[in-house]
Amino acid sequence: MLTCKEVLESLSDYLDADMKEDIVNEMKRHIGSCSDCRAEFDTLTMTIKLYKHEHIQGAQVMPVGCHDRLVKVLELEKMKSKGPQPPKMV
Amino acid sequence: MATATDEELVRKSKEGDERAFGELVSRYESKVYSLALRMVRNPEDAEDVLQDTFLRAYRGIKSFQGASTFSTWIYRITANSALMRLRKKQLPTVSIDDAEERETPVNIADWTPGPVEQLLSQELQHEMDEAIEALPPEFRQVFVLRDVEEMSNAEVAEILDLSVAAVKSRLHRARLKVRNRLAGYFSDNAKPKRSAMGAH
Repeated sequence: MLTCKEVLESLSDYLDADMKEDIVNEMKRHIGSCSDCRAEFDTLTMTIKLYKHEHIQGAQVMPVGCHDRLVKVLELEKMKSKGPQPPKMV
Repeated sequence: MATATDEELVRKSKEGDERAFGELVSRYESKVYSLALRMVRNPEDAEDVLQDTFLRAYRGIKSFQGASTFSTWIYRITANSALMRLRKKQLPTVSIDDAEERETPVNIADWTPGPVEQLLSQELQHEMDEAIEALPPEFRQVFVLRDVEEMSNAEVAEILDLSVAAVKSRLHRARLKVRNRLAGYFSDNAKPKRSAMGAH
């Protein structure tokens, strides 16, 4: 029989389905009958869901000019290492 | 060039083919920028990390052995560069050793019912950003790669050069910290907002 402490320590592995089946079943039983651990499980699950959802919704776009500035930095590096007049990189 | 595999582009880049390296840049710059931004949390620093990452990759491509994939290698450089930037700025985060969380946050059961879309407001998104920002850099790396970028424990371990056990441990502690911060937000704000929305 798992204690609350053991359940709480293993919650992330349980959420990630990263544990043996017999432990999963014990975790399931404990969470089903212990309201404190169930609340821990529910809130941790919701936290991860919120971040995953936000990630899908809010793709990060590179600012205008960011690509060109990166290419310039790399061209300069190339000039430093190989001498002047490098061929265009991109 | 656009149809070549990463491995082919790496091989050509090692031979000095600038166009091949340019194609790797085009292929990964958005992903590197996105990862950098999620770690350093502001566009100027993220662009610095982006430039630093590809400069290091450019300088190091000839010694890249191919033991890992190019994507793992470039994300490793990104994560290290972001970590160094965070450390240099010495942001007021708690140290990794002091980052133990209390076992039970306040009012935790209050905010979980209902769909994610119903909870997500601009204010909550800001709070979620702040929660990541408050994490010690080493926790932030793991949390962003694992729960935001959705990489596996094994991939994160490879990128950060950690054991899988260390990744799991940091991830669990990071999740608790972030969750507790959100629980605090919901206990202060959610009830009036949700009743105003007619929810529960």
